[in-house]
Amino acid sequence: MRALGQDDAGRIAAARDLVKVYGRGEAQVRALDGLSVDLARGELTAIMGPSGSGKSTLMHCMAGLDTPTSGTVVVDGEDVGRMNQRRLTRLRRTRLGFVFQAFNLIPTLTAEENITLPLDIARTPVDRAWFDTVVDAVGLRDRLDHRPSELSGGQQQRVACARALVARPAVVFADEPTGNLDSRSSGEVLGFLRRSVDELGQSVVMVTHDPTAASYAHRVLFLADGRLVGELEEPTAEGVLDALRELGAGRRPADEPTAHGHADGRHAVVRP
Amino acid sequence: MRRVALRGIRSHLGRFALSVLAVLLGVAFVAGTFSLRTMMSSTFGDLVETSMVGDAYVRGGEAVGSGEPTGPMGGQQRTRIPLDLVDELAAVDGVEAAIPDITGPIVLVGPDGTAVMSGGGAPSFALALHPDEPAAWVEAGRAPEGPDEVALESATLEASGFAVGDTTSVVLGDGVRQVEVVGEVGFGAPVAGATIVFLDVTTATEAYAADGTVATVAVHAAEGLDEQEVVRRVEQALGAGDVVDPAAVEVLTGEDVRAETRAEIESALGFVSTFLLVFAAIALFVGAFIIANTFQMIVRQRQRELAMLRALGASPTQVLASILGQAAVVGVLGSALGVGAGVALVAGLRALFASMGMELSGRIPVDGFTVLVSVLVGTVVSVVAAAVPARRAALTPPVEAMREEVVVADRASVLRAVAGGLLVVAGASAVLVAAFAPAGLAVDEPGPLLGAGAGAVVIGLLLLAPTLVPPALAVLAAPAVAALRPLGGLARGNVTRNPRRTASTSGALMIGMALVGAAAVIAASTQASTRTIVEEEATADFLLQSATLAVPDELVAQVAAIDGVERADALRVGSVTADGEGVSAIGVPAGLFGASLEVEVVDGDLASLADGRAAVQRQAAEDNDWAVGDALTVTGALGERDVVVGAVIDSRAVGVPLVLPQDSFAELVPAAEGAVQTLFVVAQDGVAASGLRDALTDVAAPYVVVSVMDREEFADELAAQVDQILVILYALLGLSIVIAVLGIVNTLALSIAERTREIGLLRAVGLGRLQLATVVTIESVLTAVLGTVLGVAVGAGLAATLPSVYEDEGLSTLVVPWSQLGVVLALAVVVGVLAAVWPAIRAARMDVLDAVSYE
Repeated sequence: MRALGQDDAGRIAAARDLVKVYGRGEAQVRALDGLSVDLARGELTAIMGPSGSGKSTLMHCMAGLDTPTSGTVVVDGEDVGRMNQRRLTRLRRTRLGFVFQAFNLIPTLTAEENITLPLDIARTPVDRAWFDTVVDAVGLRDRLDHRPSELSGGQQQRVACARALVARPAVVFADEPTGNLDSRSSGEVLGFLRRSVDELGQSVVMVTHDPTAASYAHRVLFLADGRLVGELEEPTAEGVLDALRELGAGRRPADEPTAHGHADGRHAVVRP
Repeated sequence: MRRVALRGIRSHLGRFALSVLAVLLGVAFVAGTFSLRTMMSSTFGDLVETSMVGDAYVRGGEAVGSGEPTGPMGGQQRTRIPLDLVDELAAVDGVEAAIPDITGPIVLVGPDGTAVMSGGGAPSFALALHPDEPAAWVEAGRAPEGPDEVALESATLEASGFAVGDTTSVVLGDGVRQVEVVGEVGFGAPVAGATIVFLDVTTATEAYAADGTVATVAVHAAEGLDEQEVVRRVEQALGAGDVVDPAAVEVLTGEDVRAETRAEIESALGFVSTFLLVFAAIALFVGAFIIANTFQMIVRQRQRELAMLRALGASPTQVLASILGQAAVVGVLGSALGVGAGVALVAGLRALFASMGMELSGRIPVDGFTVLVSVLVGTVVSVVAAAVPARRAALTPPVEAMREEVVVADRASVLRAVAGGLLVVAGASAVLVAAFAPAGLAVDEPGPLLGAGAGAVVIGLLLLAPTLVPPALAVLAAPAVAALRPLGGLARGNVTRNPRRTASTSGALMIGMALVGAAAVIAASTQASTRTIVEEEATADFLLQSATLAVPDELVAQVAAIDGVERADALRVGSVTADGEGVSAIGVPAGLFGASLEVEVVDGDLASLADGRAAVQRQAAEDNDWAVGDALTVTGALGERDVVVGAVIDSRAVGVPLVLPQDSFAELVPAAEGAVQTLFVVAQDGVAASGLRDALTDVAAPYVVVSVMDREEFADELAAQVDQILVILYALLGLSIVIAVLGIVNTLALSIAERTREIGLLRAVGLGRLQLATVVTIESVLTAVLGTVLGVAVGAGLAATLPSVYEDEGLSTLVVPWSQLGVVLALAVVVGVLAAVWPAIRAARMDVLDAVSYE
């Protein structure tokens, strides 16, 4: 494996030997158990795994929202683990974008104000051309002066995606972005995330447990018990389902050539 | 259900802490007032018991003046009785002593050359120490003999710093004299800060009863004689004697007089405690806003929990009871602590008074009544304040438990806004009618209409506030929104998203600030009006006044004798009854008007003000149908006299209805009760003011408490008195403002808890801690400024109509003290920043990840 910290055009973020332990004694839980992963630049990467597999913890650690117990995280060439609160805040403001499952928008601000919020906070002038590109891509031109309460769930989530992209972040982290949406709205949001990678050149990391959502990704990583147990390139929904079934049955994922994880046969439960 | 309610309080103690504190402060004020009143009343009660030990009292048969107690020990002014009566009374069978009450003002000059006076404004007076007096006894040294000796009451001796044997000087009604302190006299009870000097009977009689009359004579009978029997024997003796017409005197039992005096003290204290209770009520009212807000927010946060209880089968009544139960716990807890705080407050006050030389009774009474009333008031306020939120909690449909997101928009209710709007319009109209009605429509008594109108405006505004909040904040927040992008906008959004909550938080502040604004305008207008009156009407070059309100006669003569003094006009004030109407009257020397005072003559001629003639004020003339040429029967403590109205004047400098020539005044009012209040000095032409001033100051210096002022200084002095009252008012309003600020802290803290996820999101997209703290601070400042702006505008606006209503009472000039109101506004900003400190720190310390995933 390549040394961390060294600039690499192909890699936008990486974790090495990541361990995250919650609680003590009897109640101790190892959410991440020595996990290492590379996330590629200019790709939509999906992270999948059953509840408790550590996928959310992995994303929180990579995004600087949570501090790993040990191990290193590098995002866009910078060591996140060594940053203090002030630098983490600046990192989030300038290099990262976030889309959460719900409660993504400030209810008192209009859609446009919500989208430009990270730039306003950073006191950076809005790049109108890029703003227009993003807004057109999410198809919200005629909704810009609406408050979140006047938008549908899918529209709110698209506003959140636009906000995540407006500062041209190095990487966007999306935590179950379609968890609260119906299938049609999910499709719109996922389609946009994929387009933002293919057409706008962004990098997106998405945690999901929906195989259909994962099928929009360039690559799917499978986690179980805090470890990376499989990987799938250019997945289809069926392929993902098969892979999950394999995992659930304690076997290696079906498409042998691309999977290099170390599934060790431990029991994994996958929720639909 | 009870367990759920109690656990709810225990697990969210922090949320209730500020509500408990609000109740505590309000109740402490109430309990403190009651306790202070009881302590004062027991102090004065003890004093009455130990100093008024006569078995019977003889006094004049007719009350004089307006009936307001005026003497040093209270006591209504009555006609006086001859001193000669004493011998006749002493001769009555079974009477051991008849002691006349010979007393009057005195100034005791302390070792440092200034007057001995307690800080509490307690009186300073001299008493004749009669050898048979049973209520006072010599503790050390001996009783005073002759004009050059005095004895001091124990507390006075201690406060003055003298020891028996020291020499000093005293200022009596008739002049300054060097005296030796020869003894210490005990009184048997704390004298509440009064400065009491004992003189021998002859000296006191010369000083205070030179005309041979006294107010009362105390009769002390032999042991075992019933008071009623003493009264009967005294009445019999008076009937048989020839010193006085029995109809002109009144004989009462000692118990009756003591009861009467106690009742007078109670009514005076009752007035003070009512005054204090008004401010306590304001504080509690403000506290109720905090409690209402707290419960509103808690009910909102617990909506799902309550819905779940409902789904499990709890009835709406049970939910209602559980919320009201929590309110009751808050009320009882706050009240109980408040009673303790109130007692501590009174203990502190007592120590403070004691350090100012005002010794009060040793007991700090906490009677059942005080505790009961305080706890009841605190609890009822809490429960009533929680009633509306509790009702809403009870009506939570069980299905809410299944919903994902609970969205309850606290919109401004239309009904409430309409009611508020109507009240504001009606109140404002009433105020305008009272103030500016054309002559034909003029209201006889504008006061009550004005008061009711002002009350309606304030209550209407409180109702209307939720509707006013968004537009008002749009204006107030504009600078912050423009200057601090995007923080100002975020803060504005936070305070406007729940207008009702912001309205009640700033409404609490509005109440106190309205009173501050009104007080500031009234004070400034009063000061300006007084200044105008002094400038327009006072034409004398200098004025002399005494801190004891009595300029000694000796000084009047000395001033008149100074070279360069054209006139020295002494103005005396006393109480008389004119045609059955109790009024204050002034006695003036001939020629005072035109030389020392310039007044407007409506009818008649002031030159005739001598020789059995009088002048009356226009207002009094209208009220009593007095006109030039009418004869008035004027009764004073010394007797009765007919005077003819010679002039009707309209003067605001002369604040009393009746002006008598000096001679007539002296025939009616005894010197001890009609002291010189102001001495006007007019310089001869060509005499330098500074030289005359030095001469006057030199002459006045030995009298210690007499100040020499030119007109400018006199106006300043009056303005300073207004400022003193203003300071007291501000101090009393301070508590309600402190409570209102606690309310801001409370609302901020609770709404930050409510917005946890949103704050997490903001932090996740890059909002720094300092920026977050800034947002919270702007919210706080906006709330504080909103309440202050509304309050000051309403208070100052309403007060601005007063000069139109009370022009005749001397409030002629409207002055809006803009700079002072500006300071209040600046203070609101500071208060807002202070209120934000704790909530802002809490918000900034939130962990981003915890906040984002907060349920």
